[in-house]
Amino acid sequence: MLPAQRHRSPLSAELAHWAERIEAVARSYGLSFHPVEFELLDARAVNGLAAYGGFPVRYPSWRFGMEFERLEKGYHWGLSKIYELVINNDPVVAYLVRSNSLPEQKLVMAHVFGHADFFRNNCWFASTERRMLDAMAQHATLVRRRIDSHGLDTVERFLDLALSLENLIDPYLPLRRKLASGAQVSGAPAPAAGDGPTFDVLGFLCERAPLEEWQREILALVRDEAYYFQPQRMTKIMNEGWASYWHSRILTGGVLDGSEIVDFADCHSGATATAPGRLNPYKLGIELFRCAERRGEDLMRLRRVHDDASFVDELLDEEFVASQKMFLYARNPRSGKSEVAERDAAKVKARLLADLSWGGLPRIELAGVDEGGALHLLHHHDGRDLQLAKARETLARVAGVWGGPALLDTREDGAGRRLRWRAGELKVEELDTPAAQPTN
Amino acid sequence: MFRIDADRARFREIVRGRIRSDLSKYLSTPELIARQGEHAVSVPVPQIELPQFCFGANEKGGVGQGPGERGEELEGEGGGQEGTGAAGEGEGQHILEVDVELDELAEMLGRELALPRIEPRGKRQLVSDSARYSDISNSGPDSLRHFRRSYRQALRRTIAAGEWDPAAPRVAPIREDFRYRARRIVPAPESSAVVIHMMDVSGSMGREQKEIVRIEAFWIDTWLRSQYENLEVVYIVHDASAKVVDHDAFFHLRESGGTKISSAYELCLQLIREKHRPEDWNIYPFHYSDGDNWSARDTEKCIALLREEILPRVNQFCYGQVKSAYGSGQFKKDLDASLGGDERVVTSSVAERGDIHNAIRAFLGKGR
Repeated sequence: MLPAQRHRSPLSAELAHWAERIEAVARSYGLSFHPVEFELLDARAVNGLAAYGGFPVRYPSWRFGMEFERLEKGYHWGLSKIYELVINNDPVVAYLVRSNSLPEQKLVMAHVFGHADFFRNNCWFASTERRMLDAMAQHATLVRRRIDSHGLDTVERFLDLALSLENLIDPYLPLRRKLASGAQVSGAPAPAAGDGPTFDVLGFLCERAPLEEWQREILALVRDEAYYFQPQRMTKIMNEGWASYWHSRILTGGVLDGSEIVDFADCHSGATATAPGRLNPYKLGIELFRCAERRGEDLMRLRRVHDDASFVDELLDEEFVASQKMFLYARNPRSGKSEVAERDAAKVKARLLADLSWGGLPRIELAGVDEGGALHLLHHHDGRDLQLAKARETLARVAGVWGGPALLDTREDGAGRRLRWRAGELKVEELDTPAAQPTN
Repeated sequence: MFRIDADRARFREIVRGRIRSDLSKYLSTPELIARQGEHAVSVPVPQIELPQFCFGANEKGGVGQGPGERGEELEGEGGGQEGTGAAGEGEGQHILEVDVELDELAEMLGRELALPRIEPRGKRQLVSDSARYSDISNSGPDSLRHFRRSYRQALRRTIAAGEWDPAAPRVAPIREDFRYRARRIVPAPESSAVVIHMMDVSGSMGREQKEIVRIEAFWIDTWLRSQYENLEVVYIVHDASAKVVDHDAFFHLRESGGTKISSAYELCLQLIREKHRPEDWNIYPFHYSDGDNWSARDTEKCIALLREEILPRVNQFCYGQVKSAYGSGQFKKDLDASLGGDERVVTSSVAERGDIHNAIRAFLGKGR
């Protein structure tokens, strides 16, 4: 698509000069990264790219169109503006918005080098596909070809089905595999053989579901992309915190002109502002790294070995909760509004860890296939119920891909529940001996 | 053209399909009216989502940051969604606004209610000066010479004259062979229509009754606007006397006192005589009330006005009766009794919002 190229261009001489300078400063601090390529973009093109998760080419899907619509509206009403867009790839690709001021561009560039270092060095990213730009383009070509031969409606229907299951992967599998084999692998891990149990439900379905070849290809593609994005989900706070920590250090270490300091401070505080009832990952992340720095910890080690959950677990203590004014909120059943419920550090921490574990998603395990051929899913209940209406629909879609009955064991208000999808009908059964025990 | 545009177009197509299948829902709510722009309506649609396993609504709590005593309410409800870990995951409740052109909305309405297209009475055929050079003429300036047609003409003449030699296929055009592009004048009928909304604003018409009228009027205008190139809308309110008001006043004005419907019909007639003459306009008077009139004598006067003065001049007269706690509903009975056989008169009665689409179908279903 050549016309789109017009909206992307290499840096001006001035920006290129600063990119080089900032890169040198970043390296002098000990950051290391794959080469970083910056591109300049128009504001409109940024939203288009952001809707695709930063990739210029994705498979066709209305979901991206919907996301684009949302971003455009947000931009139009001045609610949101995208500053940075960076892709974990080799080379790292990062976009700068043409209309930003020079201090803003410097900040974004420094921030990007922080991300680039994180992508390269954090252990959770170790086995991600580094040629993802190419992989995404191949996925797009594949889906387009299948649309050509099977029709848009058919392919779209199956793709939507598969996308409903994109979270059913094992976030720890890639690292476990890597540690076990010691080999340098990249891309999604190969699905395990056998009947389970496994958390890699998508992998199981790729191997075992009675699918047509093109369906299997599409399911595998959705799985690949899910494994690619998973580490970003698991390290949002760390990744943004790390990048913010470094943009702040790099810029105040001589890269900024004295006249630019106020602009920088304005932009920086905008990115790290907090609103009640929200946790800003930029803010929480940078404060955690600064806290670690004050305690004399090795920051480079921290960024190498942790994900958000273990990072918070290691650093968050009473003092941090108090100084950061963190609280637990809950919905008041009488007013229906959210209110501050608790400032006890242990409880805040426990809740935060629960929210961060498993990438913030429910842990759904594939227990196996029962005698009736039903796919048996098990929700590892940690005190938080599933949204049952959605769980039913999703289960129906699992069954749709599996091509047979499916069941899900979970709990509702403390009581065991089994959702059973068979022959186009969903039944909810009581479960006397809840297989889904609270686990952690 | 960006790649994303194709995905956006697909998304919009899906959304339109949903609006279409949910149109009866929109027909009974005022939701769309406030969202009307000049050419488009922004329709709120729930974000379409793919179901996924996720945590339920009893888990609205989370971890936040900031000042506040225990029990203090958080500002900005819904902030809980972005609270912790699963940032960006709890977006299920978002509402998207999608712009739908008014013409497209009218087309959806027409399909939903199976409305026939209106044949304009077309009193006036305006000849518009279209500047399309799609005609051919024997004379004209050289700059408009049509090479292919001229050559063909010359070739034809050469062959007819027996001078054609396939071995030396030479064609020499003479003056008569030349053909020129010419302006084709397309007579484009221009149709104009006026809607005259009349409403009883006496004490017995409550908020809900007016809301129903507002919804009906919105859809009527939307449909008629799609049928005519030029649509004007006039609003008349009446209690014991009538006056012309603007759109806002029409729906918000509240008067007390009695009801004399003939006052509105007289004003309507005056407008037709003075401003919107039937020779130039397709005329659609609509009248809404709860069915009470001052006296039986005034009702007789109304019927006489309609029969002798108004009906001969208009496309169709519509009376929409909105049920209220106080209204007797007598006026519709009277109209039906005396003018029921006249196909230029349509009456309908709406007891609740769910009836609105029946009323609209009745009003617009005749294709007049």
